[in-house]
Amino acid sequence: MPHFLKMGVILMIVGLIATAILAGVEDVTRGPIAQTQRQELLNSLAQVLPKGFDNAPERDFVQLADKRINRKAKPVPFYRSRKAGTDLGVAFMVTAPDGYSGNIDILIGVDATGTVTGINIVAHAETPGLGDKIFKNNWLGAFIGKNLKNAKWGVKKDGGEFDQFAGATITPRAIVNAIKRGLDFYAENQEKIFKTPAEESAK
Amino acid sequence: MSVSETKEIIVNGFWKNNGVFVQMLGMCPTLGVTTSAENGIGMGLATTAVLVGSNLVVSMVRKVVPNDVRIPAFIIIIASFVTIVDLAMNAFVHDLHKVLGLFIPLIVVNCIILGRAEAFASKNTPVSAILDGISTGLGFTFALFLLGAARELLGSGQLFGQQIMPADFQPALGFILPPGAFIALGFILVWQKWIDQRSAAKR
Repeated sequence: MPHFLKMGVILMIVGLIATAILAGVEDVTRGPIAQTQRQELLNSLAQVLPKGFDNAPERDFVQLADKRINRKAKPVPFYRSRKAGTDLGVAFMVTAPDGYSGNIDILIGVDATGTVTGINIVAHAETPGLGDKIFKNNWLGAFIGKNLKNAKWGVKKDGGEFDQFAGATITPRAIVNAIKRGLDFYAENQEKIFKTPAEESAK
Repeated sequence: MSVSETKEIIVNGFWKNNGVFVQMLGMCPTLGVTTSAENGIGMGLATTAVLVGSNLVVSMVRKVVPNDVRIPAFIIIIASFVTIVDLAMNAFVHDLHKVLGLFIPLIVVNCIILGRAEAFASKNTPVSAILDGISTGLGFTFALFLLGAARELLGSGQLFGQQIMPADFQPALGFILPPGAFIALGFILVWQKWIDQRSAAKR
């Protein structure tokens, strides 16, 4: 056998053995990984959704797309929580494209009347110590109980009622406006969001 | 393997030939993940697991794999172990995986691992190779822990998430940001060289 062929065959054997082992490991860990991911999703949904649902919102979702939800109008899942068949609320993710540094992903929980029940920042890259003050002093808690009618949506500098921070207006402004856009979309499409049958889960 | 040999392997791996302090390898994870002591230890232990596994297998196949294709074969072995660690961590220690996620695949290109495979494991028995993997890995973990602890203490006044500094301590944010990693590493290197010089002078 020529030298190069022999070397190739040896590498192929090494590769085959490695592939077989990895396939086995993947098979063992696939279940636990899917399980933790589902649990994690459920935990983050339960944080923002109205309390007391008795369905599995992480499986009861419908995908909708709109420019107000994220700039590219990428479809996002709307997770629906219900109790004994009545609609309790929805959790969905809006993306603020106009933060100080990159996108801010915000998980919004709304009840059936369009009132915010919880806000969670899922991903952001704002400046540590300035933009990330949004996590301090319960700033995100100020949104709970607010809806399109009972609040002036905007930071104080823009004539709204939500605080900005000294030295960091861009981050709060981006978040407040993104939540407002999300609520607008929800108000217009509430019927569709709740009534569309659940999509087949990809998992 | 004699006692003095064993001792030499341990001292070399952990201190005298420390991957970070002396060889200056693996700088990407060293500077990238050490924003806290916990992250440093997590990354260090994940690397140690890969290092022990790859050292063992490389040492076992050292007489089977021909010289001409040893580097690609080593890379396949290392990459397989990294994938196994990645999957296992995702499945069983999900929270740590979320923090280190991006850096785990990068263990593949950590030069310490290929360096030990090439310089040590491919020339020594499996037992020595495992020992070398453990001591080099723990030396790496120690370096990452030191750097992470220093940055966490100065940058956020905490250690392992517990408030250490007095309440009126103003955290030096720069240490959490990337430039702080370089500065802190510089000081730790000074400290390491100082200890080495002192013990040399004593002799």
